[in-house]
Amino acid sequence: MATPTTNSGRGVLSANSLLKQAQTASKNKSNDGAGKESEEEFKSKHLSILGVFLWIFFLHVVGIFFFTRGFLLTRMVLENKSSCDILPFDESTSSQIEQTGRDGCWHQKSFDKAIVIIIDALRYDFTVPFAPNENIESAHLFHDNIPVLYETAISSPQNAFLLPFIADPPTTTLQRLKGLTTGTLPTFVDAGSNFAGTAIDEDNLVAQFHAAGKNIVHLGDDTWHALFPGYFDLDLTRPFDSFNVWDLHTVDNGVNEHLFPLLEPQNYTKWDVIFGHYLGVDHAGHRYGPNHPAMAAKLNQMDQVIRELMSKIDDNTLLVVMGDHGMDSKGDHGGESDDEVNAALWMYSKKAIFGRTKPETVLPPKYARERFVPQIDLVPTLSLLLGIPIPFNNLGSPIEEAFSGPNGDHWTNLVTVNRLTSAQIKRYQHAYARTRGDDGAESQLLGFWEAAEQDWQTKGGKAKNLDSVYEAYRQYQRHTLQVCRGLWANFDVPSMVQGIAILFAGIVLLMFYARGLQADRTELTGFFLTRVGLGSVLGGLAGAASAFIYLTELKVPESSALFAAVGSILGASSVIFGTPQRLSIPLPKSLWGWLAVVFTVSQSVGFASNSYTIWEDEILLFFLCTFGVVAGVSSMRQGTTTDRVLGVYHSIVFVLLGRLASLSRLCREEQMPFCRSTYYASSTSSSSALWQLALPFLVMLVLPTVIKGFYAGSKSYEGAASLWIGIGFRLGLFITSIFWVLEEVDGKDWLPLDDETLKSIRVFLAQLVLGLAFAAGTTAFLYSKPCVSINVAQSAAEPEPTKRPSSPGEQQLPRTTVTILGFGNVHGTRFFFLAINFCLAITLMQKPMGQGTVALLLWQILSLLEILDTNSLVTSNSAIGPIVLALLGSFYFFKTGHQATLSSIQWETAFIPLTTVKYPWSPLLVILNTFGPQILTAVAVPLTVLWKRPLQLRDSNNASSKPALKLLSDVAQAAVTYALYFATINLATTMWAGHLRRHLMLFRIFCPRFMMGAATLAVVDVVLIFFSVAGVRWSTLSVAEIFGW
Amino acid sequence: MASQSSTPVQQQALSSTTSTSSKPKFSHPPVSILPSQFARGYALAHPAILLSLVIYRFSSVVNDPVVELLSDIPFLVGLQVVYVMGCLPPAGVEKDGSPSTDGTARKTPGHKRRGHSASKGSAWATGLVTVAWKLTPALLSLTLTTLLATPTLALLLVLFGAPLTTHHALTFLCAAHMALLSAFPLIYAHGVDGEIWREIWGASRPADAVWGGALGTCLGAWFGAVPIPLDWDRPWQAYPITILTGAYIGYVLGMLLGRAKGVFGKRLEFVPQGLTDIKVD
Repeated sequence: MATPTTNSGRGVLSANSLLKQAQTASKNKSNDGAGKESEEEFKSKHLSILGVFLWIFFLHVVGIFFFTRGFLLTRMVLENKSSCDILPFDESTSSQIEQTGRDGCWHQKSFDKAIVIIIDALRYDFTVPFAPNENIESAHLFHDNIPVLYETAISSPQNAFLLPFIADPPTTTLQRLKGLTTGTLPTFVDAGSNFAGTAIDEDNLVAQFHAAGKNIVHLGDDTWHALFPGYFDLDLTRPFDSFNVWDLHTVDNGVNEHLFPLLEPQNYTKWDVIFGHYLGVDHAGHRYGPNHPAMAAKLNQMDQVIRELMSKIDDNTLLVVMGDHGMDSKGDHGGESDDEVNAALWMYSKKAIFGRTKPETVLPPKYARERFVPQIDLVPTLSLLLGIPIPFNNLGSPIEEAFSGPNGDHWTNLVTVNRLTSAQIKRYQHAYARTRGDDGAESQLLGFWEAAEQDWQTKGGKAKNLDSVYEAYRQYQRHTLQVCRGLWANFDVPSMVQGIAILFAGIVLLMFYARGLQADRTELTGFFLTRVGLGSVLGGLAGAASAFIYLTELKVPESSALFAAVGSILGASSVIFGTPQRLSIPLPKSLWGWLAVVFTVSQSVGFASNSYTIWEDEILLFFLCTFGVVAGVSSMRQGTTTDRVLGVYHSIVFVLLGRLASLSRLCREEQMPFCRSTYYASSTSSSSALWQLALPFLVMLVLPTVIKGFYAGSKSYEGAASLWIGIGFRLGLFITSIFWVLEEVDGKDWLPLDDETLKSIRVFLAQLVLGLAFAAGTTAFLYSKPCVSINVAQSAAEPEPTKRPSSPGEQQLPRTTVTILGFGNVHGTRFFFLAINFCLAITLMQKPMGQGTVALLLWQILSLLEILDTNSLVTSNSAIGPIVLALLGSFYFFKTGHQATLSSIQWETAFIPLTTVKYPWSPLLVILNTFGPQILTAVAVPLTVLWKRPLQLRDSNNASSKPALKLLSDVAQAAVTYALYFATINLATTMWAGHLRRHLMLFRIFCPRFMMGAATLAVVDVVLIFFSVAGVRWSTLSVAEIFGW
Repeated sequence: MASQSSTPVQQQALSSTTSTSSKPKFSHPPVSILPSQFARGYALAHPAILLSLVIYRFSSVVNDPVVELLSDIPFLVGLQVVYVMGCLPPAGVEKDGSPSTDGTARKTPGHKRRGHSASKGSAWATGLVTVAWKLTPALLSLTLTTLLATPTLALLLVLFGAPLTTHHALTFLCAAHMALLSAFPLIYAHGVDGEIWREIWGASRPADAVWGGALGTCLGAWFGAVPIPLDWDRPWQAYPITILTGAYIGYVLGMLLGRAKGVFGKRLEFVPQGLTDIKVD
């Protein structure tokens, strides 16, 4: 049971206090006018407090919007595919292209087959003879170990060429493979239909090979399978796990073992394109760094592999060897330093086909920064060499050496392929501009295209002077690439700064409002809202006006929102800082306050480091445990034995529950190998283990009993409580358990029901639970009576239960005994119903493991409330209560199978109570799953000042005492403190993401954490406004109805 | 105080609530280092020896923590035994040598005057008797440290996030070291006096070398956990090296600070007294 026995005085009002109580009640009766007035005042003040919260929400949204606008580079994914039949030219010009007698799609193909070998992390300087420069004076171990590429390019330039091959950061294999096959630039959000998965939606080389009927074989790194599911020949393809960087040989030997048999004459016809992806060089770099004998050995092995390949291919096969990125001096990659982006590209053919247009380009460049080609150039080059259409989104250019002919003078060919590529780029730009709805980039560049076309028209027929036409098309391509890089890779820093400034100002105001104001917050709100409203209206108008007369580049709504935010900040500051006498510096005065500050600030600072971001779940556990231990220590100092025992007991429970919950983990990739996922049946599945299905039933049995124990501690398990907690809540949890059993049964043929029937049963059950939680629960919350039971006994023999002392006459009997059970926690138990409703809905939305942890969360919240009470932190409005709730919310986010990564979002939960995607319900359901813990703790925030709050009755001698307004002010303070935590975390993650925007872990760690922080803040704000602070209205009204204002 | 104010009877009666937390009486003064020459000198030398040992053995701890931490324990025990026996009054003996009035204190018949006279005593015999007399409480404290304090600290380490299913040896060794630093002097100086231990659990002991050292050990260990998650790939980041290093540094600092002028005898306040008075009503 949750609570040990408590002294009976805690919850029971009896004996001599009855007189006072009864008198007050009677006074209220006779004083109905005053009560009505107080009620009206409470309601209007409550509304204005909600107004303040709306303004806070507005500030957060505007701040996040302006930061995001400058920070989140987005590229839209167009699903258009190039097709063999349609040339990329406009209708009017296409007729000029002779299409006769070609073997290949858009252009005469040069090869039938291709072997594309990717040597992961093959840096350019590995492949060329060592040349001393200012950085390196003598050769390192990685130099001159893979000479075959350079030798062939020198000895037979018509058969081979070698060039530096520059990657677009981030230099991670997955992003690089996207670039190498689609010809596009990477951005953080490739906004396409397939947001969750990794498969490429865009037109790409592999899809085009597939569409052309070529049989594609893939060997090596299994990243390819995530990107291109279903394109490879299943019989010949051999994927290998790419994550074990300690293993230098398994992947490489595996590739060799399966690659060379395919080159035997009897197998040569079985395939058209082979992608072979070697990982040994990369792993040697990660493990040892480049300057190590293992690297030299690995490069030597690759040298042998290439030589063997050269000897085995036939004349119609193109051999491509390349690195997808380089490596830095430690052998790692991901960022954008020169060493990381400098890869090598080598092409080889048995027939003489490659050429150089100028004598100075015959030798491969000595250094990677000379005559390099962007990696996306591979896309049009391979397409045109193999006679397939250029993928629709390509921005690369054909590589000159591949098309200039063996003598380096085949200008017609060069112009043709460049004109094709340019036309495709133009077509893509046009489609992109049309989808996006503005033509900024397209119109800037049309001039280059038209100039090139003009040149082509005039000189097209002749074979001479074509080099200038070629140059004109090249110019168009490179300018487009440059503009797109600007669009997709440059941050709008002023906009980011505006957003951060608004968020920062919001936090300062919140801080003073929550912790620095010595006045009753309700008194201030009217005046406050007037100033804020005035400021925002004036600001909004000014913003709109300045946008109209083009003082800013912003659009009218953006500009007015920005100025309205600034205006309202000024208005709010004038109220808060206008009267310094009621202001104090919001520095904590007690150990608890300092603890709250340390938790929030140290976590915020920690987000500057990728390690602390990765291990956030463990850090939160550490903080929560610290709080529990400090609470236990503090409890030992309490004066009364009850407080000591209860406080220590709940502190221990709090710590133990937190540690228990921490066993539920879903590891993110960066936590490996120090983390073992337990959330699902195994680390490679997303379904629950069988034993986990018992958890919902366990929750159903235990959780209502636990809550009952906490209610019973203050004799509050009265009135609606037993019906609600003992029956309603338990029933909901039972249906939830059944639902999840049926979910697991799905597809396992355990029941004689077909999937269709099962699904409709599940949907019905889920909707039933949600109906119970939200429809029935909300109605009950609005109208239910407080959890007290009042017994009026005129004598011991004649107990007469009534709702309240019904008439003033009763009190005149001196021997009347009135016993009110549950008096000590009227506000808390009444409001807690709301938390129970949300807990039920959130439980339904979690996987079985998550249901167990949500139950632990609710238990921990109750323990926290008891700790706050026994350490007199409820009445002193300490910041620690809301802050620890916020920590709990963040902690359980991780314990319900989530991480600060996009891939951990459980999209499938949208289908728990629905069969198809329905707006707005589906996103709301995913939010309820993802941010469930934060929502639950946000709903529980008012409890930090309501739990066991002494019921203060209006003092008849003191007309100015308004306990209901004091309560409202305390609730506002607690809620703002809670929001302050998430606002601070959001500001910190925002600032760090902005500051570290060139960090190599930006895309993997900082950016997702920023997005999570912003989303959490918005969700928490909304929940505070519409549920938790709003709910206080009804719980207070219902308490006041019984006990008077 | 919650339980009081939540009982409305009292709440209404005491409409102007006074300070509700009835201050527990602090009947037990802080522990002073014994006045002898040796005690004063060694109380300063002891932290220096400990710290130099930490520095000297650090690389071997990094290389093989289990073996090294295990083999360090006898040395640590020896040093701490010398320290507590040489510098601290055992439980039941007040600073001035008068017997404790507390009934739970261990009986140490016949030897209670030694505190002062030990330095004056010239004969080896006196010294031997003193040592023998103090050895009993030291051994008893050692037993309690092993049996109670080490498992408790190990449990706390796990609760704070130490691995639950692996690294058990390291967790226990770390806990053992921490217990020898913090709990051993506490038990030696205070015995099992319930009232004092309530003060210890409530972190409300007056500052002295013993309590300062214990608190410092815990705080040091807490801060020692900070560098563990960082991705610097340093071998010393492995659990529990930084925690233990933090604990040693914290112990030394706490022990010295606890005796420092201006700190000695002060108590940790969670909530400033004035603040409770204002806020509670």
